[in-house]
Amino acid sequence: MIEFQDLTEEINKLIEKIRKQIISNNVSLLDLELLPIFEKLEQSLSIYNIKNYSESYKEACELLSQKFEELKDLLSSINNEKKFYEYIKSNPDDNEISQLLKDCWNDSFIINSISSNFLDYIKERFLNIQKSPIKIEHLEKSIKHGEFLLEIPKHGFTEKIMNYFELIKKKLPCQFYEIFEEDIDQIKIFEHFVFILHLLQLGKIKYQKETEMLYI
Amino acid sequence: MNEISILMHLLSRRKNLYQIGATKKEVLSYLNIKGRNKSIFFLDLITNLSKYIEPLGIKIKFNPLDSHWFISFDSSISDLILANPFEGEPKLAGTLLCILICCLQHSGSTTIQEVKKLRKKKGILGDLKELGKRGYIFLENDKIQLTPLIGYQLDIHKLFTKLALKLKE
Repeated sequence: MIEFQDLTEEINKLIEKIRKQIISNNVSLLDLELLPIFEKLEQSLSIYNIKNYSESYKEACELLSQKFEELKDLLSSINNEKKFYEYIKSNPDDNEISQLLKDCWNDSFIINSISSNFLDYIKERFLNIQKSPIKIEHLEKSIKHGEFLLEIPKHGFTEKIMNYFELIKKKLPCQFYEIFEEDIDQIKIFEHFVFILHLLQLGKIKYQKETEMLYI
Repeated sequence: MNEISILMHLLSRRKNLYQIGATKKEVLSYLNIKGRNKSIFFLDLITNLSKYIEPLGIKIKFNPLDSHWFISFDSSISDLILANPFEGEPKLAGTLLCILICCLQHSGSTTIQEVKKLRKKKGILGDLKELGKRGYIFLENDKIQLTPLIGYQLDIHKLFTKLALKLKE
């Protein structure tokens, strides 16, 4: 059986701790991470603890909403350059300023090994790559009379079958092999065999399997 | 070399004493990116490079003082004491912050007189000369102007957020 975790108590403790910190004015909500609460809720949620979790989730959302409000207040005050000016005017201690700047320093990542000449060379190469726009070219229509690669048969297929039927009609009834007796060319035999199949399908001729006879 | 490697070099080069990296215009010119979608293409390149280099502990930043994009070590892995150019010199850092806020108040420049009046500390002229020598400010008669250098070394946005929070207390 799968064991389900119920972290309600732990989550509620976390929420309570944050609330106490805010009430005692020790910390701003903007300095606190609410993500761990939501992660815990998400990772351990199941049908067994959903009832307890719904209350915790509601409280966590309230904290998040308060955090948004604080952020809104901060953003509206951030443009107030006058406040910063007044702060400097109040002659703060240098150590206080140092504390303020403490974790705001950046360490730039610089590569000096690449030469500006090489960069210019690369730039030239990119400039030389002509990215020409796609041209849509219409096909030329050529009107050619007379010659055409595909040979169009002189007679239609049905016409050919019917001509063949007229030809063999006089022989019928006869044995199946007798129909092809006069054909020497293999391609002709194959062509006539196909005609026979079609004639059988059309019901123009009939075939008796036992005697191998073709008849009308 | 492809676009990403060129971008990497462009953003990590030192141009002069005060500038690192490249502007958007320079990047577009080097990579020969034109057309009405060039801004989207640029942001796409920046986002992609950022994803590539993130596991190495470096990230792309923007200097609002001279609109340059540059690469910086992630603050969570870099030694902040070493990154602080004014370590052990809090007075110099204080004077620079005073100039920064004065410049913000007066659209980019201030005067020696004003800094002297605000700082109320001895040896301000010496601080100004030192800051000028290190490339943080331009001094011209009474006028003081910030160079873009501090925008690379200091996360100005973070500083102002911290200051706003502090003043809210």
